[in-house]
Amino acid sequence: MTLRGKAGIYAGAALLRLALFAIPGLPDLLTGRAPLLLPLFSLLPDAQTWPIFTALLFILVDLLSADALVKLANSGEAGNSKLFASPRRAKKACGLVVAACFLFNPLTIASCVGRTTSVFTNCAILYATAKAIHGSPFNAMVALSFASYLSMYPLLLLPPLILLAFDRQPEKRRTDSCIKFAAKNVLVVAGVMATLQGMSFALTGNSWEFLDRTYGIQLTLSDLTPNVGLWWYFFIEMFDSFRAFFLAVFWLHLGSYVGGLSIRLRTQPLTVIVILLGVFSIFKPYPSIADTSLFLAMLPLYRHVFPLMRYTFVAAAALLYATFLGPAFYHLWIYAGSGNANFFYAITLVWSLGQSLLVSDLTFAVLRDEWEVERPEMVGKDVKQI
Amino acid sequence: MRLLVSWLQLLLIAPSLLVAAASDYHEQLTLRPLPFSSVLASFHFRSNTSLTDFESQNFRLFPRSLGQILQHAGTRELHLRFTLGRWDAENWGARPWEGTREGGTGVEMWAWLDASTDEEADQKWLTLTNALSGLFCASLNFIDETRTIRPVKSFQPEGHHSAETLANTRLLHGVLPHEVVCTENLTPFIKMLPCKGKAGIGSLLDGHKLFDASFQSMAIDVRPVCPPGEDCFLEVEETIDMVLDINRSKRPQGNSIPRPVPPQDLVCDQSKPYHSDKTCFPIDHLGSPDWNLAQVFGRPMKGTCPLADPEVPPVCIQVPGSRDVFSTEGSQEKQGADGQSRCYLLDPNNDFTLALTNLRSDDKATEEIVKPEAPLLYADRSFTGYGQEHGGVQAILTNPSDEEVEFVYLESLPWFMRIYLHTLSTHVSTSTATSTNSSTPNSDIIKEVYYRPALDRARGTQLELVLRIPARHTVFLTYDFEKAILRYTEYPPDANRGFDVAAAVITILSPRGMNLRTTSLLLYLPTPDFSMPYNVIIFTSTAIALAFGGLYNILVRRFVGADEGPPSPIKAKLAQLKAKFMRKPAATVQQPTEAKK
Repeated sequence: MTLRGKAGIYAGAALLRLALFAIPGLPDLLTGRAPLLLPLFSLLPDAQTWPIFTALLFILVDLLSADALVKLANSGEAGNSKLFASPRRAKKACGLVVAACFLFNPLTIASCVGRTTSVFTNCAILYATAKAIHGSPFNAMVALSFASYLSMYPLLLLPPLILLAFDRQPEKRRTDSCIKFAAKNVLVVAGVMATLQGMSFALTGNSWEFLDRTYGIQLTLSDLTPNVGLWWYFFIEMFDSFRAFFLAVFWLHLGSYVGGLSIRLRTQPLTVIVILLGVFSIFKPYPSIADTSLFLAMLPLYRHVFPLMRYTFVAAAALLYATFLGPAFYHLWIYAGSGNANFFYAITLVWSLGQSLLVSDLTFAVLRDEWEVERPEMVGKDVKQI
Repeated sequence: MRLLVSWLQLLLIAPSLLVAAASDYHEQLTLRPLPFSSVLASFHFRSNTSLTDFESQNFRLFPRSLGQILQHAGTRELHLRFTLGRWDAENWGARPWEGTREGGTGVEMWAWLDASTDEEADQKWLTLTNALSGLFCASLNFIDETRTIRPVKSFQPEGHHSAETLANTRLLHGVLPHEVVCTENLTPFIKMLPCKGKAGIGSLLDGHKLFDASFQSMAIDVRPVCPPGEDCFLEVEETIDMVLDINRSKRPQGNSIPRPVPPQDLVCDQSKPYHSDKTCFPIDHLGSPDWNLAQVFGRPMKGTCPLADPEVPPVCIQVPGSRDVFSTEGSQEKQGADGQSRCYLLDPNNDFTLALTNLRSDDKATEEIVKPEAPLLYADRSFTGYGQEHGGVQAILTNPSDEEVEFVYLESLPWFMRIYLHTLSTHVSTSTATSTNSSTPNSDIIKEVYYRPALDRARGTQLELVLRIPARHTVFLTYDFEKAILRYTEYPPDANRGFDVAAAVITILSPRGMNLRTTSLLLYLPTPDFSMPYNVIIFTSTAIALAFGGLYNILVRRFVGADEGPPSPIKAKLAQLKAKFMRKPAATVQQPTEAKK
């Protein structure tokens, strides 16, 4: 927690990334994204003659995310929310360890050096959560609007974030009614989103076509580039007459987790956010390792319930398996030509199943921890669910 | 149609005169032997009709089917090309008709349509392509918005249009590189001729020989022509160019399998050290074998077409004066218009054939063929890179002449080939070797860029570059692209063959107007496993169900200790069954003891 410790970890992470940026040929992964990112990147000097500035920008974003994570961890919200105090909360991880786990995670480093724009979304989500915990709901909502503007799915984090902000409001400016508070914050989100869309409208020459090109692509999955998710192969092999139905089913499925989790885990809204982030990294239309790295970043916050998780080895093994074989099978399919799409598709299935195992295991551990408050004699005993 | 009439009234001063019937239809076959025992045969048919006749649907020599389609689709000018094969510019020299009657491999079509808005032009284009696809038995109806572009600098109208009509027209250009041109496309061509392939040079056209050629191109051009001081008329030109390999065409139809030549007929290279009775290095393809028209085309020419202009000699051949050419009796030889060729006026009632003999003289100074003219530009295009994610395109453009050449390079690319325009680069070298001696900045070579990016499944990429190459230099034009993966139903049945990318169209602006086209390319896209749609749906649904079901169960069920809670019904049933089995052996054990008692 000391400043020296913090500075040490940040500097180490920054130097490692700088070294990796210097390696020539690590690919540019800047895909078609929100219009406002374009003027941001045009502010920087030309990327081909002065690549250091783009590198610095991405390193900065990573360090800001780590900072938000430190604030999150040090607040102790994970074990000790307003309405729930875990019996194991003494064992929580310290903020610096959490930040180090995030910064030195190979997936995070890969997303930073690959210059994906998901790092901006991740930073915004972490900031939104950190601000909500520290009692500035307005900032949290603004940050979440930025995240939703960049990708669509953070909007689904709005209910748990409102609940978190409501729980952690500062005493002086309290709104007692949850509904009023929620309504106020929804209006804030709507306002900021409208402003951002308006700015994009003005930037793209006064036309709304950018909506179709950014959000429309996610809704209709018009680009089927292979990624680590489940959607692309499914919708490649799907006949055209069923596409609309299955798109609706997949989006409905993605949205169905929010309500259930928020109601069941009302007392721990931060946990809801973490589980939702895990769910999104599996089931969103264009997932990437940046989304997984965000979920894995928030996972050490629950170090106190790790002993209650049942399948850590299986999940870890499945994720490692997929991490090593995924690039190999992709290369075999696309470059070597000696494998076909099924190899890579199988790896995406393993990756999704491993992650879903991790998410459900975390949910089980958190719920069991919650249950042991009322049944303290069951600590260490076998349980089942009926 | 009303527009045409009003335009007519504006331009005509005198009442329209009937054009003399004699000059309405003109046909000519030009033969030119090429190096390596090939012969270029250019069939050219031209019909005129006055605009009043056209409007009043009075079709004589102009094909009615085509005329009615043009009126219905509001077409001012139409150019349609069916091409197969590749023009070997290095051996055969400049293209026939300066490349203006040639298209990219497959079908290429461009037209000026009467339209005031883009939507109207699209509608008329749709009508035109669908109607022409029925007329020519070609799948022109597949030229939809993903294969249509609106070129800016590449095509200029060949007909005479007034400025106000031109302002109200739109140029649209469509390509279908995958189309296989075949006899079914030749038949409507021949049916549109006045003599319908029964007399005149049209009687030589045979699908077997035409589609066996090394290069063949069928072109239809319809344009309005207004000679100064005379009335305007509408002209339709049908051109068929083919480069026949003489030895291959001479194989008889019934026996077309190549067989070894008997040893006494072999033409051997006697300068080789190993030349003897038993070893021979054949050079029969280097010389010009003897051939005649009936052999090469498979059938004799049946007289002349009575509707043709009798002043125009139907057959001309371009050979040096030293070559002997024999023609059938009754034909008259004339000096050709360009001074180099010999033309023949034929006996209208008899078959006609021309025969050329093989030059067996040892005097190498005797020329066998007219040396082909060197072209202004050589163009080659190919893919670079490997793998099915990224690739690059490289176009090698060579200027062999002594003057600077300025031209427009047009590419119409499919949407699934996503090009990165920022990677467009040129480098110049003084030879065709890829040595990088100087990399000049792009602005020296590329003067203007017209680029319209692609939209997925809506339109393709249109890239037009105005380039200038100094004399005797070669330019390597490269850019990178990314390949998209398509939906199951968007792949053709032979998905692993690849997708055809249309030929690049090069229009030379200076020193003189010419056209050339590169070859088309085959693009390999990553393919999914086509045998597995059901399996994929099942597996993915299972993965989703496992995740959702697991999470749902954990959220909804309540915790109890392992030994608390109601016993599971399955376990209870199992316990019952076990108890039954335990009881039975106990019962059988007891009975014998009781019996003993």
